[in-house]
Amino acid sequence: MEAKLKQELIETFGERLTKAAKMYLDNCSRCGLCIEACHAYASSPETRYTAVGRAQNIRRLYEEYFKKGKIAKKLNEAVELDDHWMEKVYETAYTCTGCRRCMTYCPFGIDTGVIQGIAKMLLITADQEPKTLTMLADMSIAKAKTIEKTKENFAAAAKNLEAEVLQRWRSEGGEEVVPLDVQDANVLYVALAGKHSIIPAAAIMNAAKEKWSLSYFEAVNFGAFVGNPAKTKEIAGRIIEEAKRLNIKEVVICECGTAYRVMKHMSGEKPFKVITFAELIARYVEQGRIKLDKSKLPAKVTYHDPCQIARQGGIYEQPRYVLGQLTDNFVEMTPNRQANWCCGGGGGLVAMGEKDFRMKSAKVKADQVKATGAEVLCTACENCHTQLSDLNEHYGLGVKVEYLSDLTAKALVQD
Amino acid sequence: MSDYAADKVLDLKGLPCPMPVVKMSQEIGSVDVGQIIEVHTTDPGSLSDFPAWAETSGNEVLGSEQGEFIKIFIKRNN
Repeated sequence: MEAKLKQELIETFGERLTKAAKMYLDNCSRCGLCIEACHAYASSPETRYTAVGRAQNIRRLYEEYFKKGKIAKKLNEAVELDDHWMEKVYETAYTCTGCRRCMTYCPFGIDTGVIQGIAKMLLITADQEPKTLTMLADMSIAKAKTIEKTKENFAAAAKNLEAEVLQRWRSEGGEEVVPLDVQDANVLYVALAGKHSIIPAAAIMNAAKEKWSLSYFEAVNFGAFVGNPAKTKEIAGRIIEEAKRLNIKEVVICECGTAYRVMKHMSGEKPFKVITFAELIARYVEQGRIKLDKSKLPAKVTYHDPCQIARQGGIYEQPRYVLGQLTDNFVEMTPNRQANWCCGGGGGLVAMGEKDFRMKSAKVKADQVKATGAEVLCTACENCHTQLSDLNEHYGLGVKVEYLSDLTAKALVQD
Repeated sequence: MSDYAADKVLDLKGLPCPMPVVKMSQEIGSVDVGQIIEVHTTDPGSLSDFPAWAETSGNEVLGSEQGEFIKIFIKRNN
């Protein structure tokens, strides 16, 4: 490794050493409670797939470059940064989905996400980060500049979805079925690129007679996946500006866990509320604004808590409340809620491909789903949906993987 | 009827986020510079995603058509 790059990497590391980061790097007692908390280790028991193993790759650099005392360095196994160690840094960043299950078992509450963030930033500085994630983040940023030229085509595509939305909910004449640019709307719904992320949501919001507007931007934030705070902010900023321009009351994030976490918890103060679409559906049901027909879903159903909206966002009960209105045949997977196993697809792994690792590291998830005996596996995150669908195929689980929004839209009762 | 003669057709209909753009970025190298890929997709967002991707990758969206599904015509420029 060239001396100049090494110096840049040490400086990058130093810039990430907040008080919290130092506390997480200083305070591990090596108790090992995090070890079996990781789905990757539980599925494939190797030290490199433990939270402490991954953190040690960063902690040992911290000892070398930011701590004093020769004996302490030796005892704490300080290491020099070189090309070989950058491979360890990569493992820290990209064998972890950022689900933070380990954090809930750690007696010090060590946030592995912060340590993983250092690893990701080191990789960016060394130009060794996964280029797919950077490409996607750069595309999202460029969209802020190209959007004016593509708005018309996007609006035409949204118009073309009308027939499929109307199949799920017949709106009254004169109403926009997929509205855009609605000033003073109650809801700015931020979808993903696919129509499956728009059609059910449109039907549900129309059924609830919501004053809503579809965002021109996609919810997902690849700046967060690649661990680049500046890009994360820029990508989220496009949606924030759109919501401000339209004087929106609530930004509702589609079924995308990372998009929700970034907009709700990582984007500072905003003049609007941020909620998940699962919360909005629960509100509509509770307020009697939509009615659901349980006969539409006779199969045995279970629910996978997406880590980013559940463990990291506290959204546990709202999806279950909605499912309670959709079926009498619901079964919990064990463990669930805060202790639920990660699906194994987070942290950018689905976008990166990485299918061998995703399947190997999520066997525990597959076993957990199989043990429920459910026929329908419902979730509220597209990343989880993709990973669970891959697990379903790989392990022959025999379930149908469904979005909460789609199950809800199919059960809407029209008087 | 399209105004563009495609050298390759990519069927990306129904793929989850963010696979249409990922697949496109992987496939652009499979045609020669100056050749055209015709993408088939069902994603409304692709109509904004692909022009933004082309902007950052130095390629060019020649145009699009909307019907039963969306067609986007992309020329490899580099």
